[in-house]
Parts: sequence; C-alpha cells; structure tokens
Amino acid sequence: MSVPKLQQLAESVVQGPTLATGAIPTREWTELPVVFKSGNYAYPAKAEKVAYLDSQSGLHFPNSREWSPEDEDWKLPENWKEIIIKGLAERLDKFRSLKIFMDCCVRCGACADKCHFFLGTGDPKNMPVLRAELLRSVYRNDFTLAGKILGKMAGCREMTVAVLKEWFMYSYQCTECRRCSVFCPYGIDTAEVTMMLRELLHLVGVGINWILEPVSNSNRTGNHMGLQPHTFKDNVEFLVDDVENLTGVRPNISFNRKGAEILFITPSADVFAEPGLYTAMGYMALFESLGLDYTWSTYASEGGNFGLFTNNEAMKKLNAKMYAEAKRLGVKYIIGGECGHMWRVIHQYMDTMNGPADFLEVPVSPITGTVFDNAASTKMVHISEFTADLIRHGKLKFDKSRNSHVKATWHDSCNTARAMGLLDEPRYILDHVVDWVEMPENTIREQTFCCGSGTGLNTDEIMELRMRSGLPRANAVKYVHDKHGVNMLACVCAIDRATLTSLMNYWNPDVRVCGLTELVANALIIPGENRAELDDGLRTLL
Amino acid sequence: MDLAEAFRNHRDTIVNKWVAFTLSTYASSSFFLRERDNFANPVGGNIRDALGRLFPLLVRGAAATEMHGPLEQILAIRAVQDFTPSQALAPLNAVKHITREVFTADRERSRFVTELYDFDFAVDLAVLAAFDIYMGCRERLHDVRIAEIKSGRDTITDSGCPSRLLPAQNIAVPQKDSGV
Repeated sequence: MSVPKLQQLAESVVQGPTLATGAIPTREWTELPVVFKSGNYAYPAKAEKVAYLDSQSGLHFPNSREWSPEDEDWKLPENWKEIIIKGLAERLDKFRSLKIFMDCCVRCGACADKCHFFLGTGDPKNMPVLRAELLRSVYRNDFTLAGKILGKMAGCREMTVAVLKEWFMYSYQCTECRRCSVFCPYGIDTAEVTMMLRELLHLVGVGINWILEPVSNSNRTGNHMGLQPHTFKDNVEFLVDDVENLTGVRPNISFNRKGAEILFITPSADVFAEPGLYTAMGYMALFESLGLDYTWSTYASEGGNFGLFTNNEAMKKLNAKMYAEAKRLGVKYIIGGECGHMWRVIHQYMDTMNGPADFLEVPVSPITGTVFDNAASTKMVHISEFTADLIRHGKLKFDKSRNSHVKATWHDSCNTARAMGLLDEPRYILDHVVDWVEMPENTIREQTFCCGSGTGLNTDEIMELRMRSGLPRANAVKYVHDKHGVNMLACVCAIDRATLTSLMNYWNPDVRVCGLTELVANALIIPGENRAELDDGLRTLL
Repeated sequence: MDLAEAFRNHRDTIVNKWVAFTLSTYASSSFFLRERDNFANPVGGNIRDALGRLFPLLVRGAAATEMHGPLEQILAIRAVQDFTPSQALAPLNAVKHITREVFTADRERSRFVTELYDFDFAVDLAVLAAFDIYMGCRERLHDVRIAEIKSGRDTITDSGCPSRLLPAQNIAVPQKDSGV
C-alpha cells in the first residue's frame, strides 16, 4: 500500500469545504441545501392515513397525497407558502411561548453542544439554536420590522421550497427530548419549536408514516397497533397465564369495569412486545399482591400519545380519550404505567387542553392513605410514585436476591425526568429491589441523554441515524458496563424499552433493557406465592 | 537514539495530529476537538482514546487481533455516520503521513523516515482489520434491524384499518390480524 499524501487523503475523506481541505466555507449555512437519500429520512405518511385523519372530528391533516422526500417535486399544494405563513401567524397569536421563543434567543450557544443529534452527527444544523433558527429566519423575515428593513443582514430568509425541505429534515432529527432547554438561560423550550415546525409541515401534507399511522390507529381503536378490544383483552390474559405459571399466583384482572376505584392505563407496547411484556406482567403481579381495585380499559388501551408528535389537535384528542373513559367507568382516578411522552402531555399540556379533570378525585393510595397532591389537577398518578410510596410505608416485601442475576443502571427517560421531575422515586425503588449503579453525572437526571429514537423516530428505515443519535446514551452505558459489569438498563418508558434494546444490541450487546416494575416484580414476595426457581426473573422460560 | 526513541519522543504530537485529522472529517470538528469530557463529547472522546491506544500497538507491530478493541471503538461510530466505507476508514492511513511529517520536521530524527517499513506494514494490517470490523458493524446493524422487525413492532404501520375506507354497512369486514 502506498503512502498517501495527507492532502489527497483529506480530499477523499471530506466532501465539500472544511478545515481538512484547508478551504474556507464559501457559502452561508442558509444556502446549503439538504439532500435526501435512503436512510436519512423516515418514510412519508401514506396518503390514505392522512386523508382518514383529516376526515375525523377535531383533527386537521389536509393535503394528503403520495410523495417522496427524494423527489424534486413534493407535490405541495399551489398556495403552500401562503398556508405556511398563515399557519405561523396563527400559532404566534395562539401560543405566546412561541412568540417569546422566536424573539428572545441571544445565540449564546449554551444549547449548541447539548443535543444528542449534534453530538452523534457533528452537523451544525443539529445544534438546537440553529435548528430553531430554521424557523426564526422565516419568522424574522415575515413578522418583524427589523427583518423587513434589514433582510439578510438580520438573518432573515424568505420561505422557499428549499427551506421547507430543510424543516422536514431537521424537525425529524430532533426527539423533543428537551435536554437543550435545561441549559438555556432563557428557558427556551426548543422542543416546542420542533413541534411548531412539524405542525406547519402537516398543514401542507408533509409528515411521516411511523407517526401518522399510529395516530390514525389510536383514533380508531384506541391504541397504536390498532388492536381491537378482544385482541387487547386476549393479550393481557396471556400475560396473566404467564404470571401464574411463574409465581403460582393468578392475577385477578378486569376490563372496562364500571365502578372500579382505579383505571390503569399503560402504553400498548407493554402488552404486545418484548421487553415491555415483562413490565406488564410486573404491574399485574404488583397489583395482585395489594388486592388493588383496578380495571384495564380496552378503549383507553394506549398511554402513548403520538398526537404530541404531530399537532396540538391530535394530542388533545388522544389525551381526551383517557379521561372520557375514566368518566364513563366512574373511577376515582387513574394510575399510569411506564410511559414517557404520555406523562409529558399530562404534566405540561393536559390541563390547558382538557383539564382540570374535576369529575375525578384527588388520588389517594388505598393502601397507605397517601394523598397525591401533585396529581390534584390531572388525577393521574405515576406507577413509580405509587410504588415508592408503598415501599416507604413498608407495604411491600422484597427478596432482593431474586434479582441477583441483574446488575442494573438507570436511564432517566427524557419525558419523565425533564417534564415531570420523576428523578428520585425510581432510584428509591431500585435501592430496595436490585443492585445498581449510576451512569456519569452529566448523563443522568435532568441532563439525561435521549434514547435517540423518541418522538416517533423509532422506525427502522433510519436505523443509522438512530444509532448515531443514541451514541451519547450508549457511551455512558458502556462505561458502567465496562467498569461495574452492568448488564441491565432499566427505564420507565415504552419507547425506551423498544429503542434502547436496539441501541444496546448495536453498542453494548451484553446489556439488556427492562422496565422498573419488572425488577420490582422479580423481587416481590407475593402473598400465597408458589414460585419456581426463576433464574431470569419474569423472563425465565419454564 | 533509535527509531523506538523517536516514536516515544513524538508520540503525543503524532497522536494529536492524527486525532485532529480524523475529527476534521466532521463538520463540527472544532467542538469535537476541544471538549475533553468523554460523556459530553463521545465522538471526540472515543476517537482520541482509541487512536491513543492504537498508536503504540502499531509501533510495536502488534497482531491485528490486539488492535481489535481500539479499531472497533472507532469504526462502530463511523459505520453509522454519514460516511462511505472508504471515508470511514481513510483517517487510519493518515498516521503514516503524519509520522513522516513529524519526523522530517525534527532534524535529529528525520533520518528515521527511511526506517518506517515495519510501521507502514502495521498500519496496512490495521486498515485491513478495520475493513473487516467495519463490515462487522454493518452486519450487526443489519441484525438489529431484523430483530426489530421480528419483534412485531412493524405492524404499527402495516395494520389494516382505517374504517373510513370501508362502506358504512361493511364496517365489520375483518382486518388483517395485527401481529399478536
């Protein structure tokens, strides 16, 4: 092999002008077009799904059509620009936060290097400040006096098809995890900027199928999969059989039972896919050990709310369904399972969209008498808050050695950590049920790194993108795996359970992923149990 | 003074230049170079660490199996980034040129430039091993994708549905089972 000259090597490595070639960039970032190619975009939504959603009450998904990001012509409606600018005007008027976020950024750069997409790709447009600038530049151009007078000098851009394509590229390279917001001295929620970009794109029929099909399924049958009531019921009953086989105790469950004290809602992924299944088994074992008066619902059969990833109308409608069912059944309150963005919707948006849920009661634990004042308005308690309270009052008996096959670490799921402050309850629970260690400080709690595939980006056509954006998380897991022999990554989010499994399979194949309640149930001593030797907890194959 | 001493003496300079060159393949190379916290900068941190471990192995002509760890550390990252296979591997070769450049600039040690055959050979072996490792990463990625599809989650977007497409009187027409 001949010795290459460094310059030639650099030219073979680097495309375009960078420091490596010694060239100075000749074009502004605003003038570098995005290039769509297989693998760097999620598939567009099927026209029939968009049309279906648009036909549904309370939803607005116009301009359905078949189109491809790789095509030059996206078949946008003729007046697309007018639609976008009018849509932006409406949103600036409706959401004061958006107006503030558009105006108050001083480009200090505190957020720039905090995004996992930026850290995994090095693409400057993945710096949260620049991603938001994609929208701000248009905002300044059309809505500010300075923009009208100074134009390009004030960083303004006219809305063009190229800008629209850029919006599509980068609003789907953001998982709305809000890590950047933690570092913003002004508290700008860049996730909400992404939300607005996606809303505006939906106005011209630009969206992705991995999000819109689950939304359409949820609108019809109540869950992402489109499982009909009998199928949902069958699935849960299979899990009841599994719990009985493993523990000797058969959970007593019910569906759509009017007059139950509590309605239990969890992501549907927990009842149909590994490793969520084991978490669902855990819920049932836990509730059975308490004799809890609760019911499942085959209608509110989804905690997840992919509406959050589309527009505020869809988010509102899917959230309302849970409360409509709680009202219909006449329960006192709701316990929510291990979901991520369901909790963000509950804590940040539910009250102004559908709340307060005055027809329900402030949650009180029937076992300990604890009043969950934090849920006084939403009437929805997180399973980890509920469990931590039980442990605090000595209501659960554990044999920690039953988790001796596990050395865990804790992934703070973005939404529960940053959107509802659920930081200490899971750690308190872990202390009682399993041997575990923390990951490095700048990757946990409020600073936790996203799985890299949230907000409906957990689709396999963008697997490379997911792996690189998940690198910061995987890198921290690798550290505790190498240093402490960690073999389990625990979390409280269904998307995490699915996507971190893939992430670990790539970066740390020796580390598995589980829900917190799975670990709880592994160690739980259930009254009347006749437990087999379970080498792998609830995952043991008998 | 011998070749080994020359490598020892210039080790940090060579590795730093090698790291800088490798990170220059990213659009945000200055951040990747500057931030030294491995958890705040996993790309920069891992590449710096891996090249630092790889260099002494090349100097002593280690077997390709010994180089697997640091090469995997680099290639696992570059195999999922927006590089062609040759772009992903090319920076490994740079160490040959960088070493010559550094030795040449040192008057006392410039004569060792003619003694780099074994070092070059070690780099060649590393590049060949890296090619296998790169392919291993791509195959692992393929397996990850297959495992995800087999987990049944793809049925989220392949279910039957929406009822609107059915005539109202026909609403009970069975839809494709949703992959339970």
